[in-house]
Amino acid sequence: MNIAEQLSDALRSLRTRIVTPQWRGTLGLSAVLLALPFAVRLNGQQHADWLQFLGRFHPLLVHLPIGLLVLLPILEVAATNRPNLRDAARFVLYLTLVTGAISLVFGILLAYGAGVVGSTLTRHMWGGIALMIELLACVTVRPAWSSGQLRIYPALLAVAFLTLMWTAHQGGSLTHGSDYLTRYMPGQLKRFLPTAASDAAYAGSVYASNIHPILDAKCVACHGASKEHSGLRLDFYELLMKGGKDGAIITPGNPGRSLLLQRVTLSPSDRHFMPAEGRTPLSPSEIADMRAWIVAGASPTATSVPGIAQVAVNVELPLQAVGDYSSLMKEIRQMQRSQGAKLVSVSANPSDGLILRTIDAPSKFDDARLARFYRFAPFIVEAELGRTAISDACLDTLSKFTNLRALHLEGTAVTGRSLSKLSSLSQLRYLNLSGTRVTADALAPLKGMPNLRHIYLFDTPAEPASAAQDGTPGSTQ
Amino acid sequence: MKQHPLCTDCENPVTPLDLPISAAAKRQWAVNETRRRFLGRSGKVLGWAALAGLFGELCVRSYAAGSDLDSLSAEGNGLSLPHFAPKAKRAIYLFMSGGPSQVDLFDYKPNLAAQFNKDMPDSIRGNQQLTGMTAGQAHFPVAPSHWPFGRHGQTGTWVSSLLPYTARLVDELTIIKATNTDAINHEPAIMLMNTGNMNAGKPCLGAWLAYGLGSMNDNLPTFIVLQTKTNPRENNQPVSSRLWSSGFLSSEYAGVGLRSGSDPVLYLADPAGVDRDVRREMLDTVEQINRQTLAEVGDPETNARIAQYEMAFRMQSSVPELTDLSKEPQSTWDLYGPEAKEPGTFAYNCLLARRMAERGVRFTQIYKRGWDVHGDAVGMLPILCQETDRGAYALVTDLKRRGLLDDTLVIWAGEFGRTVYSQGGLTQENYGRDHHPRCFTTWMAGGGVRPGITYGETDDYSYNVVKDPVHVRDFNATILHCLGIDHSKFTYKFQGLDQKLTSPVPAHVVQGLLA
Repeated sequence: MNIAEQLSDALRSLRTRIVTPQWRGTLGLSAVLLALPFAVRLNGQQHADWLQFLGRFHPLLVHLPIGLLVLLPILEVAATNRPNLRDAARFVLYLTLVTGAISLVFGILLAYGAGVVGSTLTRHMWGGIALMIELLACVTVRPAWSSGQLRIYPALLAVAFLTLMWTAHQGGSLTHGSDYLTRYMPGQLKRFLPTAASDAAYAGSVYASNIHPILDAKCVACHGASKEHSGLRLDFYELLMKGGKDGAIITPGNPGRSLLLQRVTLSPSDRHFMPAEGRTPLSPSEIADMRAWIVAGASPTATSVPGIAQVAVNVELPLQAVGDYSSLMKEIRQMQRSQGAKLVSVSANPSDGLILRTIDAPSKFDDARLARFYRFAPFIVEAELGRTAISDACLDTLSKFTNLRALHLEGTAVTGRSLSKLSSLSQLRYLNLSGTRVTADALAPLKGMPNLRHIYLFDTPAEPASAAQDGTPGSTQ
Repeated sequence: MKQHPLCTDCENPVTPLDLPISAAAKRQWAVNETRRRFLGRSGKVLGWAALAGLFGELCVRSYAAGSDLDSLSAEGNGLSLPHFAPKAKRAIYLFMSGGPSQVDLFDYKPNLAAQFNKDMPDSIRGNQQLTGMTAGQAHFPVAPSHWPFGRHGQTGTWVSSLLPYTARLVDELTIIKATNTDAINHEPAIMLMNTGNMNAGKPCLGAWLAYGLGSMNDNLPTFIVLQTKTNPRENNQPVSSRLWSSGFLSSEYAGVGLRSGSDPVLYLADPAGVDRDVRREMLDTVEQINRQTLAEVGDPETNARIAQYEMAFRMQSSVPELTDLSKEPQSTWDLYGPEAKEPGTFAYNCLLARRMAERGVRFTQIYKRGWDVHGDAVGMLPILCQETDRGAYALVTDLKRRGLLDDTLVIWAGEFGRTVYSQGGLTQENYGRDHHPRCFTTWMAGGGVRPGITYGETDDYSYNVVKDPVHVRDFNATILHCLGIDHSKFTYKFQGLDQKLTSPVPAHVVQGLLA
């Protein structure tokens, strides 16, 4: 029998199988599964709390079918020697299917209830649906396999197993973050990873001040980290230049051939007009800026482009993120009770750092107390030491608070003799010395600090004489 | 076979109503309970009662256990704030109650002089509904501003000669000419401005901030309200504590009003014979009783009461220090002017606001009434401006020189603007102006906003917004943004709705205002 005959034979036997009621059921159920994401639209909106409450059991439930699906091939292999395991394998397969279906439903409840969207979530969901369809197929072909008619079952099981691994990885990325596996990877291995995009290097450029804000306001909602329509992301320069599935969208120097510009200048009624779905179109001045920037070569670093009035903002270097202090929360609370000063989160985002706040009892806060906060120094970005009992000696401690951005020393006994110690604080932007005895000479060491833009000297010997009159600002910039 | 009427057939039980008795007796039967019915029903009722008892206790207990002081704060409700690193840690809101005239202060319309006493074109007025005070007028004569405008600062911003001090500040200010509101009368408009809703019962901006961001200084209230002494010559619209109420939030987030007299808080000193220890013991006992009440009743307001007692105790020492101005240097008085020495004046309140900012009060709101100039605008506006101009200037300048303006947001706003047409008779010497919600001028300064800009434009009559409107909701959303809060995520469940300061209607942070 040649190969063609074998193939047509197989096809024929397949056809006779497809018309069986069992296959029809499988196909019908598969269609239902495929339609599920369209019936329950994940639109990013939160829904009733009870949906989320139930949904949160998804991570718990999902591990049962995972375990069963790992067990299944073991049983099937073991059954070659112990045939009585064959029945057990069949039972485990059915159980995998049923528990898998239940966890799929709970997973969709979770995403729908919590209003979560994003590319990882979408991949995870479709992975789960694909896995269910493969399991259905396994259930359908297994009787034919055990009676020796069709040998596709082991292949299907292998596919299901691979799908499981991929889907589980997406799920893990959702709960632990996508860098969970790579964060502590040895440096030698890390080199092989694609580097994450970042625009931090372009601070101060026309791209950062004029172009990125346009993209951010008008495009990134659909072409960003959470949604990647047409495989296109516009939230970072590298990704912007890379383009999407239709290729590059910017041709430096040639606005006419830049797809990005074409799409935003079409008639709003055109099917390809961007931004789509009735979102706010780009204003004529935004389009003009975009065009001028592309004509000038679409550089990420150029600081002036003919035809663009650069938004006059103080170009400040991007803030350096501090580490995550969440694991220290218990000690932080304890410090609060014992030391009479608070460590307050700047925001809900731990990498924004902590504020050392002494305002409840400033007169009791002295150099010794400050030294006890040394342990948290890397996380403290602002030290509010105004009107405390600290002295010049505190600068020794403070010089080790290397992430400090703002330092309040107003109304303290600091004389300024040792201000040079602050020069190790490369992130310092704000220094308040109002109401101290600091003299103009003492300030000389601060001249070389690049980020230090705001020094306040009101009511000090160092206050510029002209500023003392009629209350004009006593700050030097 | 026909059954005997008294046969016991469980399928079709025979009731006395089937018996051949009088209709009156049947009715009597229907009203009365039978023993059988009573026992049958009571079994079920007792079952339900037992279940309710079990669950009820469980619910009350979990509620009472959960409602220690923290659970009523934003953190206890699962909000972690600020959502992102804020530019401003605190805010000071100078509220110009009554509706300052944008036409006479900031919104310069040089072309209006030629329109003197001409009727306003209908096309400008459109179909706007007017107040009862001018709706009956046959004519709407244009009243150009009585005062000349000048250009000031590096930015060359036009400001009326009524505000010589504010004019010096323009390079620091973010002037919003296109603020607009939905309400045309004081009470709904002032509620909308402060609480995001025209109806009373919603928390105001300060209460939301106190709830969301909490206190910076445990010894002073998070949200303080200062009222300026009224000038009897002015048309003072009432300002009530509804404007600083906490609405459906716990009462501890309501604004604490200081009195405008020389004694900002009454009965602050302990009475003769009561020393601090006795006071402390008394408060401890009262707290014990309150905690018992809380355990029994589970009313979260009991918590608020406990917190308020404690706050009052700490304020006994912190408020005298706050209001003791004897250590202020001469430069303070040079800046704020001699009026600042008199408690209750606007300048004095501005100085107090600066002292509160230094001491970590999260939100201070100063109310100045009297801007409701329906008549005699030429007589009243100079008085009003003289009372407020220097204080506002001194506050911003003082914050700036002391390094506080970097993280303090100062807001100057009223509830609406005033009409360009005259209310009542227009003469060369005088005019009046009615309420005008479609556009009015406000300003902000400090943390988070872009200094030295004028945002939004009005038409030639200062009547409609023609560019970059800023609705009250957007105005409030922007204030929250400066303080690190995403207004759309800052919610509180009440009456089945995720309540927000910016109301259910979509609001937007005005990016053009941000630094």
